[in-house]
Amino acid sequence: MKTIKTIEELHQMLINKEITSDELVKDSLKKAHLLQTKCNAFVTILDDAKGKEVTEDLLSGIPYGIKDNYSTKGILSTGSSNTLKDYVPFFSATAVLNLEKHHVVPIGKTAMDEFGMGGSGTTAHTGNILNPWDTTRMAGGSSSGSAASVAAGVYPFALGSDTGDSIRKPAAFCGIVGYKPTYGMISRYGLFPFASSLDHCGCLTRSVKDAAIVVDAMKGIDKNDLTSWDSQDIHLFESLDGNVKGKKLFYIKEIVNLENYPDASLELKEHLNNFYHTLDYLKEEGVTIEEVSIEQNLINTIFSVYECLSCAEATSNMSNLTGIIFGPRGEGKGVNEMMKEHRTKGFSSLIKRRFVIGSYILQKENQERYFVNAQRVRRLIVDKMKELFKTYDGLIMPVSTGPAPYIDGSKDEITKDNTTNLEEHLQIGNFGGFPSITIPNGFINNLPVGINITGNCYDDANVLNIAYALESKMPYKNQVAPILKEDE
Amino acid sequence: MKFTEELIDDLAAKLLIGLTKEENKLILSEFNIIDETMELITKIPNIKEVEPMTHTLDDFSYTPREDEIEESISIEDILANCDAYEGREVKVPKVVGGE
Repeated sequence: MKTIKTIEELHQMLINKEITSDELVKDSLKKAHLLQTKCNAFVTILDDAKGKEVTEDLLSGIPYGIKDNYSTKGILSTGSSNTLKDYVPFFSATAVLNLEKHHVVPIGKTAMDEFGMGGSGTTAHTGNILNPWDTTRMAGGSSSGSAASVAAGVYPFALGSDTGDSIRKPAAFCGIVGYKPTYGMISRYGLFPFASSLDHCGCLTRSVKDAAIVVDAMKGIDKNDLTSWDSQDIHLFESLDGNVKGKKLFYIKEIVNLENYPDASLELKEHLNNFYHTLDYLKEEGVTIEEVSIEQNLINTIFSVYECLSCAEATSNMSNLTGIIFGPRGEGKGVNEMMKEHRTKGFSSLIKRRFVIGSYILQKENQERYFVNAQRVRRLIVDKMKELFKTYDGLIMPVSTGPAPYIDGSKDEITKDNTTNLEEHLQIGNFGGFPSITIPNGFINNLPVGINITGNCYDDANVLNIAYALESKMPYKNQVAPILKEDE
Repeated sequence: MKFTEELIDDLAAKLLIGLTKEENKLILSEFNIIDETMELITKIPNIKEVEPMTHTLDDFSYTPREDEIEESISIEDILANCDAYEGREVKVPKVVGGE
């Protein structure tokens, strides 16, 4: 059970020479292969990975996973898409390079929903990614393999990306921590772009402290990402003291109130009851939590605003996927036929559908009704949140409608029912670039569920500290899905 | 009808993407859901007066770097992921004067 420890614990073992970095890496590789047979969490496992020098740096010599939409020099990086199935970048993402300075050891590239577009882990070109707590359930997406592998104890952390909830929802479904910091705190250079104004880099870990350690190492201004900013005065790990007395949080009545869901499933009822119960832990620590009402019409538009903006940006960003300069060549008489074959065969059905929607939205005659109106509502929602953040330290909400859904019957289609707002509210964090963290807060039907805290831009240390205080009151820190236990 | 199979096929053709009948049908239903919700937006009072949010951070600023020549990516590196090239150039079927 070597890797089933926090980063600090592993570091202490390495310093005390109770274990070497090489041994940690070998153990991690063995677990990765085992997990692959059960959950299909990886696109690539780096069998030639070797331990690294152990220094005073907490991360030195520690193995980790990288989501497959991060460019990694000389290592296959597919974004889980057939259109890039053999693509080997000639440079590494800045976030990966920043981590390398801390002597971490990449073990594998994790499978994901194709290019980050999806929330189920069912659209990767390598097949479905399964939940390590119950392989009939989805891992959530799009950072599915990262979540599954961290939850199974392959290593203490993995990189993720989050455009709508792609770190924070799989974290909840897999019973771990998922953190996306303020937009631009981590450079996006080298991350395959999905929707540039919503894309965030971040990490999946098994404790809040580990998330702080990892993002401290990933972040920093980057001349290659003009939206990155200087965060050298922010020290997330050092800021964690667990003192939250006097803090104020709110939750959104219209989304959380059980009375709004007359046909609620038993799982949803338990999930919401568990949410309210979890709030009591924070109240015991001196946190004030209040119910806030937001105009229902505004809340009801969240999901469409997200779809419009993300589909439009994705359609534009991914127009370079032609198979001509990189990617597998399509066949055809001329260039257009070749590109059409490449794109038709290469993209999953979900991606194709999103591109068509994005293209429609971007047609000149439709832009005002869809794209520009979505941008307007984005501002209204963000302004409302910023107004609330003047009074409150953060928004606290349950993640999704309960534990991970079954894979069978999941379609990853745009549907709308009365629980949509509960499923989609994490997108608010992307609209405003707000720091947002999910931590596990219980089990329903033996499956983990999560709770999320979102705060104002640049207030990451405060958000993490509240999450840290809450985590300390519950028994789920550093928990591991028992999927690999029988094989050890 | 606002959204039709023909419209969707036309959009897909512009994107150089082929759709199956099932995919076309699914997009139709997804379009209708999005459109229905977008209708809610038009009912928000004074929505037209709201400044569209185009950047994630309001206080975004950046100082441009000095205009200095930096090392650029080698053509060989770029071509390593290309399926068809000749020398230092990407090879494609004849475009001008072709069929």
